[in-house]
Amino acid sequence: MDRTEERQAEFMAHIERGGKVEASDWMPDEYRTAMIRFMQMHALSELMGALPEKEWVPRAPTLARKLSLMAKVQDEVGHAQLILRVAEDLAAPLGKGREELVGELFTGEAKFHNVFHMPAPTWADAGIIGWLVDGAAVISQAALLGSSYAPYARVLQRVCAEEGFHIQHGESICLALAEGTPAQRQMLQEALERWWEALLLFFGPAETNSASATILLKYRFRTRTNEELRQKFLTKYVPRIQALGLAIPDPALRYDETAGRWIYTPPDWSKLKAIARNQGPLSQYRLGLRRLSYEQGRWVRDALMAPARQAV
Amino acid sequence: MDRPTLIALLYQLADDELVVGHRDSEWLGLGPHIEEDVAFCSIAQDEVGHASLFYNLLADLGEGRADDLAFLRPAARRRNAVLLERPNGPGSYLDRPEFDWGYTIARRLAYDLFDQIRLEVLAGSSHVPLAQAAARIRREERYHLIHHTTWFRRLATGTEESRLRLAAGVARTWPDLGGLFALGEVVPGPVFPATAEELVDRWTAALEPLFAEVGFDWPGRPDPGGPPGPDGRLGQHTPDLDGLLETMGEVYRTAPGAAW
Amino acid sequence: MAEPRLSQEQRQFRVYEIFVQKDHSSPHVWVGSVDAGSPEDALVLARESFLRREPAVSLWAVEQTAIHRTDYADRDFFAQETDKRYRTLAGYSKANAERWRRYKRALLDLEKDFVRD
Repeated sequence: MDRTEERQAEFMAHIERGGKVEASDWMPDEYRTAMIRFMQMHALSELMGALPEKEWVPRAPTLARKLSLMAKVQDEVGHAQLILRVAEDLAAPLGKGREELVGELFTGEAKFHNVFHMPAPTWADAGIIGWLVDGAAVISQAALLGSSYAPYARVLQRVCAEEGFHIQHGESICLALAEGTPAQRQMLQEALERWWEALLLFFGPAETNSASATILLKYRFRTRTNEELRQKFLTKYVPRIQALGLAIPDPALRYDETAGRWIYTPPDWSKLKAIARNQGPLSQYRLGLRRLSYEQGRWVRDALMAPARQAV
Repeated sequence: MDRPTLIALLYQLADDELVVGHRDSEWLGLGPHIEEDVAFCSIAQDEVGHASLFYNLLADLGEGRADDLAFLRPAARRRNAVLLERPNGPGSYLDRPEFDWGYTIARRLAYDLFDQIRLEVLAGSSHVPLAQAAARIRREERYHLIHHTTWFRRLATGTEESRLRLAAGVARTWPDLGGLFALGEVVPGPVFPATAEELVDRWTAALEPLFAEVGFDWPGRPDPGGPPGPDGRLGQHTPDLDGLLETMGEVYRTAPGAAW
Repeated sequence: MAEPRLSQEQRQFRVYEIFVQKDHSSPHVWVGSVDAGSPEDALVLARESFLRREPAVSLWAVEQTAIHRTDYADRDFFAQETDKRYRTLAGYSKANAERWRRYKRALLDLEKDFVRD
């Protein structure tokens, strides 16, 4: 074996023993590239994820909800910042920084999570997102806390801690609507029906032999499969949703005691393909908002960077 | 106690903070720099929180429920300065927002400096709940001023383009300043122990040196006699406020008094 | 108008590592980093990136390039293989306690003598 192969073998042995990787460690190019891409997608998803709920900030129906939703959306942008910084440190040897990592969102090279391509047409959608979409995200993120890439695992602890408030905030909105007027209850029921498929799609397809999924498990970025996470979500949230008197729009949904798992009508997985091409229901609209503000803000970022240039 | 002055003053304070906080919140997710998006949102939350405090003082005085005061009153009953209802830029936060950071920094610095001086005056108000609220809020506003001043300097000295855009933002802000200092129905006295002229003097003394430091011409002293156009302190507003109130109250008005 | 559009190499943020001191009994603790162009900007940005929910009395911003670091791979840099208990509390507390117990027993015996007398 030559030196590189030897180092790669040592690296894999280290990973398989549960060892951690830091930014300045030697690592195979494949690991570095895949980890950057994974974190970039997570960060850009947080950034794009701010937009559906942000639509409701100016229309939030009480001063308290206005504040709470602002804080929640602020956290999402904050999470994007935390994760981007970790990605930037790992990408620095490749000459990539903040501008490049964010710019790839607009070229289409970097994707954002499928769930944020969906519409949020009513106030109740803001509640469902805060409760159930963040609920799904917490389950997903918990499986990343054991990630081999230590700087990412560390920053996720902070992210997960803040997500606790998000779910409480979302729950609070949904509880108020569920206990409210008939119109409010109906708004909530309709929002649930609108989001149910998206919540199943959130975790990705059950069996996937995709190259990227294989790498995720090989390098221990993530320690659970898509289906395991989806099952956890159903176990946690189906009883709670039903307790509020809401009807889940899947007549086949039930827990199979023998099999020890939830049986559900499979969502339309083909929708994920359109979303991956940024052709989901609101993909282009939201990308358009972000791209416009990004271009509009370029002169501001140039001014921010100016001292660095002036010093040189 | 001069109750009409107290009530008018509280509406000015509450409406100023709510309208500016609402405009600030439109930037969320669209900020020019991710760390700044986060920081600016805290400022927006502070303003809405202050508005809430003032609406609750009005509720304590029998004016009605705080949320009703915030969401239901028509434009003609609002007492915010017109400066604060101006849009952040062309477009809306949902449709092709072309928000202007240069204008935002100029407007926010002008307003928060005015607010700080107003709060200093209020710390001496004869209405104790208001004096106490003002003292607490003033401490929180310190960060706002540091933020806006830092950005003012950064844009003024950063690049040629940022300097020009900030200057343009200042030029757009200036004509509306008279309306900020106009006292409307507030009569100087124990509840509000200062005149509009005094406010302008103190504001000018604080801001003029900053302009000199970055080499900006001083555009002139705001006229506290009121604006040439609509006077927000007397309930005269622009169509921009109608649009803002329409959006802000859209959900609330479907069931006022319902729990949300 | 202005300067020519900057090339990609010219458009770079500086990274500032951020340290927070929560109260006067605590040291500054590293919490993360921000992209900015100057230390003043970094402090203004860091306050809301890291202190939205925590109290603090001080904030430091240190340019990332100013930090000198050890190499994770150099584990031996941190090796402590031979017995170092001579410089720890645990290295003494048991042995000293034994001795004090002997003194205490002797004292009890003395007391018994006094009582007999």
